[in-house]
Amino acid sequence: MAEIPTIRVTDLHKTFGALEVLRGISFDVQRGSVVSMVGASGSGKSTLLRCVNHLETATAGDVLIDGISLCFQEGKSAPRKPRSLAQINHMRRDLGMVFQQFNLWPHMTVLENVVEAPRHVRGMSRAQARDIARNCLERVHLADKSDVYPARLSGGQQQRVAIARALAMQPKVMLFDEATSSLDPELTDEVLAVMRDLARDGTTMIVVTHEMAFAREVSDHVMFLHNGLIEEQGLPSEVFERPQTERLRQFLNKAQRPR
Amino acid sequence: MSESLRETLDLALLWEYRVVLLKGLTMTLGVFACAAVLAVAGGLVAALWRVSRFRVVRWVGTVHVEIARNSPDYIMVVWVHFVLPLLLGAIIRRRLEFDPFVSAVIALSYVYSGYFAETFRAGIEAVPRGQIEAGRGLGMSERKIMWRVILPQVVRRMLPESVNQFISLFKATSIVSLIAVPDLMYQVGIISAQVMRPMPLYTGAALVYFAVVLLCANLLGLLSNRWRNKVFA
Amino acid sequence: MGNWERLVWNQREAFLAGFQVTLQVCAVAFVGAILGGLLLCLVRVYVRPLRPVAVVLIEFFRATPILVQLLWVNYVWPELFGWPNTFFSAACVALAVQSSGYLAETFRGAIEAIPKGHLEAASSLGMPPWRAFLRIVMPQVLLDAAPSIGNQLTVIVKSSALVSVIAVPDLMFQSQKLVNKWYEPIEILTATAVIYILFIFLLSVTLTWLARAMRRRYGLTAL
Repeated sequence: MAEIPTIRVTDLHKTFGALEVLRGISFDVQRGSVVSMVGASGSGKSTLLRCVNHLETATAGDVLIDGISLCFQEGKSAPRKPRSLAQINHMRRDLGMVFQQFNLWPHMTVLENVVEAPRHVRGMSRAQARDIARNCLERVHLADKSDVYPARLSGGQQQRVAIARALAMQPKVMLFDEATSSLDPELTDEVLAVMRDLARDGTTMIVVTHEMAFAREVSDHVMFLHNGLIEEQGLPSEVFERPQTERLRQFLNKAQRPR
Repeated sequence: MSESLRETLDLALLWEYRVVLLKGLTMTLGVFACAAVLAVAGGLVAALWRVSRFRVVRWVGTVHVEIARNSPDYIMVVWVHFVLPLLLGAIIRRRLEFDPFVSAVIALSYVYSGYFAETFRAGIEAVPRGQIEAGRGLGMSERKIMWRVILPQVVRRMLPESVNQFISLFKATSIVSLIAVPDLMYQVGIISAQVMRPMPLYTGAALVYFAVVLLCANLLGLLSNRWRNKVFA
Repeated sequence: MGNWERLVWNQREAFLAGFQVTLQVCAVAFVGAILGGLLLCLVRVYVRPLRPVAVVLIEFFRATPILVQLLWVNYVWPELFGWPNTFFSAACVALAVQSSGYLAETFRGAIEAIPKGHLEAASSLGMPPWRAFLRIVMPQVLLDAAPSIGNQLTVIVKSSALVSVIAVPDLMFQSQKLVNKWYEPIEILTATAVIYILFIFLLSVTLTWLARAMRRRYGLTAL
């Protein structure tokens, strides 16, 4: 019997006003695998990721985490009732999100940023939470900056702290929303290195990115989104080297043009 | 309590005395207008002193602005009305007395010139250096640069902030009633002593200030936005 | 010059007593202003049905002069609400009312300035909204508003000179009493003015330094 996928997205639709951004997306993410999503701006990649942790509410479709629906409560009634905010927050503990804008809290030190959720959301003791936080900061190579305030760190360092903050909750899946897009090129590498380490350690990851080389090197599965639908998907070698559709070909051309 | 509420909102009393109250309001506006003009002029001068190339001039400007900004309005009004004439009188060896209106205008324009000076100074320093250098490159004199490049921008940029200062000045004029300038609050006090009905009177006075400030703030805000957008849009 | 000694130095007890009352009124009013401003702001931002009430109150408090507020609170409120019932408390309430309007708007600006992403990060970690408000929103609001809060303290001290009008024995009241006793206003009033100006100047310098130090600590150098 095949293992239940850690994440299963079924027929996801999302409409903003008159604009339908996601037009019916379905995919699975198996435990330990790294899935990359690539596509042009406006293709719906970020929206899709934000639906996976319910920062956006899907207009139709469902997201299942280890078989349990994130969007709807259990029950046989049709239509099923949507989950309450409290239930969603509870389930969000298993999803770690890293944002393009880092979003570290400026009035807390690095350590305090990372400790906050394990201590107050999972309810761990101070000692436990600190231990976990320190471990996560070591994984991103920033343990020595524990007592520094975020405003004093570089962009790359802040993003690594953000990764540590998400890791500290020991989530089932890590979601990366264009984690390197707002970094200067010199700082991108340190963040990608951390993400590479996480993949090597067997973390389940969904990565929305513009870094094609990285996606190709690290992913087990790649999805090319266009206009709210999965235009093509498959192994990195297939998608990047043998594009089937014209659109993907054009996209790869533009992406690989020397900057 | 509803008895008191009805009494408080009995604005018919205000209508009864509307002539006197209107005279008071006119006086309030008169004090405001005079003080506003002098405060803006004084503030501009002080701001120019503060950004001068000469250290002594800068220092004089700073002292003036700091005294003005850190004085309570009431203290300054009282001091100007009761002490200043005595000091000046001692110098020219005559008995001097200031008309309350004059004292009020002098005191308020002094204090608020300090606030305007800071507003203008911030505006002057906010003009990008590059524009000044462009002027120099074209051979403009420093004075011409100040008048044709910097100040026009300062006025537009600092207009919303200045509106706030004007509103503060308008509210501050209520203090002059305490040195017997027959403004709105003074008239309210007199009527209140006559008819012994403080509640509708003081509530009414508050509502009058509320209405005037709200009206002017919104009006000026609209006008200044449209003017700013013409330049900065 | 002997006048200075006779009129000011020898009366220093009266000056001190008045100054003490001034400090007391300002301290109480300051705390009241912060609490009142917070309350008005939170109601305006989060309690939708009461929003118009909060807006009207905030605009009313900001638009009316302090003298008017003092007289209004002192003479009208006791009849309407049965409180405040002493001149001292009326003074504190009026001063607090004046500043709470300004602080409410300052707090609101600070709340709206918090990037949405900070709250999204919090909810992504499973944090419930109330906790995100207490741990993420409020600390940043207070940090952001610190300079304005300090400024309102100086406004309160400047406005406190007027409480003598409703018979609160503050510094101004004491000095006016002395002037009425001896009919020699020059030294007494000048000394009073100097005390106020000096005190407010030092206060303002200290507050600016404090606000800057706070922001420097967190590495936020833009003021």
